[in-house]
Amino acid sequence: MIKGQIVGGELGRISIRQKSEQQLEIGELLICGDGCQKSLLQVYDLTYGSQISSSNLELVSGMNLEDGTDVSFFDANMRNYTIAHAKPIAVLAGGNVQLCKQLPIFFGEVRQVEEADLRFMTAPARPVYLGNLRSGSKMLEVPISLPGDKVFSHHVLLTATTGRGKSNLVKVMLWSIVDKDYCGVVVLDPHDEYYGRNGRGLKDHPDPDRVSYYTPRDPPPGTCTLKINLRQVRPEHFKGAVSFSDPQVQAMNAFYKKYGNKWVEAVILEKELNQGFHFHEATVGVLKRRLSHLLNLESEGDRLSCNGVFDLSAGEATINDMADDVENGKTVIVDTSGFSGAVEIMIGSMITSEVFNRYKRYKSKGQLDDKPVVSIILEEAPRVLGKEVLESGPNIFSTIAREGRKFKVGLTAITQLPSLIPREILANMNTKIILGTEMKPERQAIIESASQDLSQDDRNIASLDKGEALVTSNFVKFATPIKIPLFEEYTEQTRPDEAESSPAFDGVRLD
Amino acid sequence: MKFIHMADIHLGSWRDPKMRDLSTRAFVTVMGCALAENVDFVLIAGDLFNTSLPPIESLKVAVTQLKRLKDAGVPVYTIAGSHDFSPSGKTMLEVLEEADLVKNVCRGRSVEGKLELNFTVDPKTGAKITGMIGKKGMLEKSHYEGLVTKNLEQEQGFKIFMFHTAIAELKPAELAKMEAAPISLLPRGFDYYAGGHVHIVKEASMEGYKKIAYPGPTFPNSFSELEKLGCGGYYIYDEGKIAHQKIALAPVITMSLDCTNKTPQQATELLLDEVMSKSVKDSIVLMRLYGKLDSGKTSEIDLSKVIETLHGKKAYSVMKNTSKLASKEFEEIKVKADSAEEAERSVIEEHVGQIRSLELDVQEEKALVETLMNVLDTEKDEGEKVSDYERRVLVEVQNVFEE
Repeated sequence: MIKGQIVGGELGRISIRQKSEQQLEIGELLICGDGCQKSLLQVYDLTYGSQISSSNLELVSGMNLEDGTDVSFFDANMRNYTIAHAKPIAVLAGGNVQLCKQLPIFFGEVRQVEEADLRFMTAPARPVYLGNLRSGSKMLEVPISLPGDKVFSHHVLLTATTGRGKSNLVKVMLWSIVDKDYCGVVVLDPHDEYYGRNGRGLKDHPDPDRVSYYTPRDPPPGTCTLKINLRQVRPEHFKGAVSFSDPQVQAMNAFYKKYGNKWVEAVILEKELNQGFHFHEATVGVLKRRLSHLLNLESEGDRLSCNGVFDLSAGEATINDMADDVENGKTVIVDTSGFSGAVEIMIGSMITSEVFNRYKRYKSKGQLDDKPVVSIILEEAPRVLGKEVLESGPNIFSTIAREGRKFKVGLTAITQLPSLIPREILANMNTKIILGTEMKPERQAIIESASQDLSQDDRNIASLDKGEALVTSNFVKFATPIKIPLFEEYTEQTRPDEAESSPAFDGVRLD
Repeated sequence: MKFIHMADIHLGSWRDPKMRDLSTRAFVTVMGCALAENVDFVLIAGDLFNTSLPPIESLKVAVTQLKRLKDAGVPVYTIAGSHDFSPSGKTMLEVLEEADLVKNVCRGRSVEGKLELNFTVDPKTGAKITGMIGKKGMLEKSHYEGLVTKNLEQEQGFKIFMFHTAIAELKPAELAKMEAAPISLLPRGFDYYAGGHVHIVKEASMEGYKKIAYPGPTFPNSFSELEKLGCGGYYIYDEGKIAHQKIALAPVITMSLDCTNKTPQQATELLLDEVMSKSVKDSIVLMRLYGKLDSGKTSEIDLSKVIETLHGKKAYSVMKNTSKLASKEFEEIKVKADSAEEAERSVIEEHVGQIRSLELDVQEEKALVETLMNVLDTEKDEGEKVSDYERRVLVEVQNVFEE
């Protein structure tokens, strides 16, 4: 279907006159040329065009408005039209895709993109599905999958303002990789929305054994109560999660040095430190109060009682079990909805550190190739990757952002405010999935650090509707517009088969 | 209400007659305590025997002791554990139940593919007891997944749930690799959760689950358990209070020597010096040697002489562990383990994934191998013909594959 014709412009700004009965949209994909070489263009702006001078147009408008006359244009479609401004995003030559280095044919007709034009977009060997290719607001039957093993280890940034479909996208992505053994995922879930406790979620995947769910409250049958043994907490786990003063940090380290894994108990129960370590009474008092509050602990005399996730009798193997699951390519969802941000980060820190340290060991032993890539999904990423936080020192998440790639551990950072993340970390995030972002500074931060040139896409990004996204990545040839299906609709296609045979319950004395 | 909760007796587990005797004596001791304490009933949370078809001597001990309790009017409630469970359903526990010596509380009915467990009501106290068997490789997990919990949770009265499963949330760090199920698979709201399978002493409570107790074995079952636990034990529940009772039959003395940078002769001398400085009479002596010798072979450490000296000092039993001992000449030890089971687990882990024809996943394959090993471990009964023994094992093996 012919949509228009190229009438001028330059390489990054091609002007297309729109055919009168057609309606071009921002973000729409167009094809110019045919046969062995076609140019793929994307509309990024629309303006009016007219053969009539603007003074005459103003005069005609005045006659209509002021005199009440009904003046219309003779051959209106010939005289007034829409000019679409498009940028060439790729050249399709045979089965290859190349960056565009030449202008498409002058005065060439442009037509709507069709599935057949995009046969080159095949799924990679280890895919993570993001959605379908989108042309403007129309979804094409062209699934877009990226090479998950590379994408996850090179970090993903997912940015959007509230309500644009971030969680839906994460759910769709996770669903597509749950049964793939190339990737293990840790999801820190502050809204308890991924497992699907009260609706459809990853629990409904046909391969549910590959999803592990940890929750501190009322775990559904078969899922784990989130309990972490207090003796596994180390002072460094608070980095990035809680801001302690220097004397408090020194006091924590002194207690850890003397009491080892019983250091928290020692602080709470006010045990003595070695000679040579003198801290102001108020410092230790504040430390005790803050740790008690954070970890939900109470003391009475020499008895310590644990009222929350951190426990003395349970949870010794929790972090290890989670890391084992991740290492086996499973998806581990941690419900952090009941916690303060600091506790969520701290728990995330403990899990992430365990996984990262293991992977560092595997690399040093030459075993890393046998392990799946790991992604840590983290909401409100500036809490740990923000400029302000990092001023007080690095944390495990910033370490992974900087060097995790070498160890096959990556972050999937979700945020509304990418501008708070330092530029060098943003640049390290090789894949950016950009959903609707209304705030100019946020768009600017993404555009400046994108893997493809998005300098003309400011308006395109601003106009992204719910469920629409633009994907830029080192692993795609061009910034790819996608439409993310609704999780419920997407997963409807893959409902698990009903169990065919009933279990025998052998060993049980059945009546 | 007063009852005893024990588990993991593993009658017949030790090959060494002296250690086997201690293991038996531990069981006899608990049964004696049950009578002395005048308990209302006894719970055995799995693995009374080390195999589903134990040798006659183990059976004789069990029958004698259980009869003592029966004669005194003390009922014994049991479930099968991973060791005394048999895929064919033929276990000695059934024989004991037929003889009215124990009552298996893992009973119920299958309704539309789901399992509805029934309560067994203790006639004297009215305690309502039910439970779930344990199987090798956590295969009981599918039973739990099919378990209807509503009826169990709604039942009023004092309720006990017996289980023979590692609980993920309560697993100790040193057993992190042990397969476990989350507590959420168990029905909520019971007054006591009598656990077995994990050889640890632990009492814990979690939201919805109070008094979850693992008493540990009645007698340690391996070198490392002797090292870690020292002795066995059991829980005694008395009107809401529970206390762990130790069964101290022989003191355990551990001699640990780091052989790094020592010659075999130096190591021998150090061991002998330590032996001479200790009173070891009637004790179980554990010698753990580790580190890398400076020269020579590990076999050049004269352990025979050390053991002889210990026996001369009237040690009850002497055991050695050199799994973490290496020499510069011979470094390669493929499997390092503290117990036979641990060694088996390591070997299985190493080779898992190689049975392709059955299309099993890793967990299923591990469970299959463990179950097969258990079945093939069956010993020939006294008086049993070789051909009958072979046929019996073959049937058991076939049952494993049909399962």
